[in-house]
Amino acid sequence: MKEMIFALFSIITLLTGAGVVISRNVIYSAFNLVLCFFGLASLYLLWGATFISMVQILIYAGAIVVLFVFVVMLLNFEHSSERSQNFWIILGSGIGSWVLSLFLLRVLSNTLGASPYQSAAPTNLRTVSKLLFTQYLWPFEVLTIFMLALIIGIYLLGRPESEGTQS
Amino acid sequence: MAELVPIAILLGISLLLCSGILLVTQILGPKNPVPAKLGTYECGVKPEGGAHIPFKSSFYLIAVLFLLFDVEAAFFLPWALVYKESLSEGPALLWAMLIYMGLMAVGLIYILRKKILRLT
Amino acid sequence: MNALDVAISALKAIVILVAVIQVVPVMIYVERKVAALIQDRPGPNRVGPLGLLQPVADAVKFLFKEDPIPLNTNRLLYTLAPFLSLLPACLVIAALPIADKAVLFGKEITIQIADLDVSLIYVLAIGSLGVYGILFGGWASNNKFSLIGALRSASQMVSYELPLGLATVGAVMVYGTYSLREMVVLQDGTLGGFLPNWGIFYQPLGFLIFLISSFAETNRLPFDLPETEAELVAGFHTEYGSMKFATFFMAEYMNLSTMAGMMTVLFFGGWHLPWITDQQVLDWVGSQNLLCLIQVVTYISKVAVFLFLYVLIRWTLPRFRFDQLLHLAWTNLIPLGLINVAVSAVLMYLMRGPA
Repeated sequence: MKEMIFALFSIITLLTGAGVVISRNVIYSAFNLVLCFFGLASLYLLWGATFISMVQILIYAGAIVVLFVFVVMLLNFEHSSERSQNFWIILGSGIGSWVLSLFLLRVLSNTLGASPYQSAAPTNLRTVSKLLFTQYLWPFEVLTIFMLALIIGIYLLGRPESEGTQS
Repeated sequence: MAELVPIAILLGISLLLCSGILLVTQILGPKNPVPAKLGTYECGVKPEGGAHIPFKSSFYLIAVLFLLFDVEAAFFLPWALVYKESLSEGPALLWAMLIYMGLMAVGLIYILRKKILRLT
Repeated sequence: MNALDVAISALKAIVILVAVIQVVPVMIYVERKVAALIQDRPGPNRVGPLGLLQPVADAVKFLFKEDPIPLNTNRLLYTLAPFLSLLPACLVIAALPIADKAVLFGKEITIQIADLDVSLIYVLAIGSLGVYGILFGGWASNNKFSLIGALRSASQMVSYELPLGLATVGAVMVYGTYSLREMVVLQDGTLGGFLPNWGIFYQPLGFLIFLISSFAETNRLPFDLPETEAELVAGFHTEYGSMKFATFFMAEYMNLSTMAGMMTVLFFGGWHLPWITDQQVLDWVGSQNLLCLIQVVTYISKVAVFLFLYVLIRWTLPRFRFDQLLHLAWTNLIPLGLINVAVSAVLMYLMRGPA
């Protein structure tokens, strides 16, 4: 039963993921991306990682894709008129990503000892949070400094060119 | 696992409900499309140009800043969960979050000082 | 999980969903009546006694209206947008704990569709998806007003999601759990002997921030910038008619009731009566099912009070300007939310019990 549900959500995730790449209309890509993140969140739920799953929806589906849709709506490139016609580029990138994912899977399964699906024990959220704020405190704080740098960078890149030209 | 079954059921029911009410009106409603009815309604004036016009980038900045602050705020959630029970173990978590919040506040004050959220 | 459990959860889902949808007609009626009262006019009074059947008439009218798809629209997204708006609104209610438990068929049944251990984040996460219905609807309509409305709405909803989240962080700190059910259970009894043991007395500022943000999140006046009828025709649903329009409407009212429910659960003791513990009520009425009924009524009355507050504010306050709205979120509410978390953390540390 669990395997069936796992397979269902994996297929949804993969199909919508492919949809993101294939769609000619950018807004359909964004829509597929929402569904893809949903599939991922469902997979996390299935593995017992409820918190990660909810944060996946909150941050990825709720914030990052909103950003994408914003870009699409602000710039309004409705149809990417020039489609990459080169079949070999598509084939090459397809094979490349497939090999890469196999490689990553191999590495992951070596480090985790088993396939992620089997090894995922329901982690105790409280333990993980405590570790994050005690043992891994400094990496965490450094991350915040990165965020600060990002905020400043966004301002520098995205500030209006000159004040008062647009209303 | 078991607590997800109700949500799946609710999802199914909601899907049925949504498609049901939209289908019913398709069946019951009259169908008499005339060009004037199907035209874009912009206060009765003929639409000038396409609707998908480029917009000011401030909207985009809001979305990016929201994304960053949302990620930062998401870290409050695991912290808040364990804060109460960690009180007996000294102020380590308090300091951790105060430093974090300080850095977040610096970013917030920076964007507020630069007034990039001004839309007028 | 056997067949009986599945049947029970399906039944619960249907009953609670239908009950929440009933908010829509009630709110339509109350809103129109209160508006009439405030504006000194009779309001709906033709359909049925006191106009009570007006919502039914509205629903029938919506059903029998033509449902045209305007030209030059993106047909797929145009049709999908009402779905995307209503689906999250329906899904969110799964996490709301309406009452403790009833005993039926020899089983204890919790009056909550799904008792997730992260139900608070579930509400925040699914609630944040409501923005797509508005964004896609406004974009697919191929109308400048709709697009502006959609963009405004999205900026507003994302801006106010932050203070909303920060306000709930305060509540999570106080209760030490994400489960809305556990939060309500922790609010039983009295605080210091004379106050109900409710979240608002621990997080007054958090409640205020949550209340203000909830207006913006649900696109209600004074923050209904997405549909400012004076400047944007009707905002993102300008091009929508018939039941598709009604679907956006339903989603709005269901989100309202969810927000009211969240405030009840986080800050106003959920299903608890003030000053009386559940145990006392149970001793008094002597039956778990009767207690459950009292809890449901208590919860619904608290939600009703908040819904009435929404209606009152809608018809008494003028609308904000869009830059004022964003200004309020970024310069006032988000810093206030951060300060609230910091002050609560320090106070909790200073007032901690003996180790």
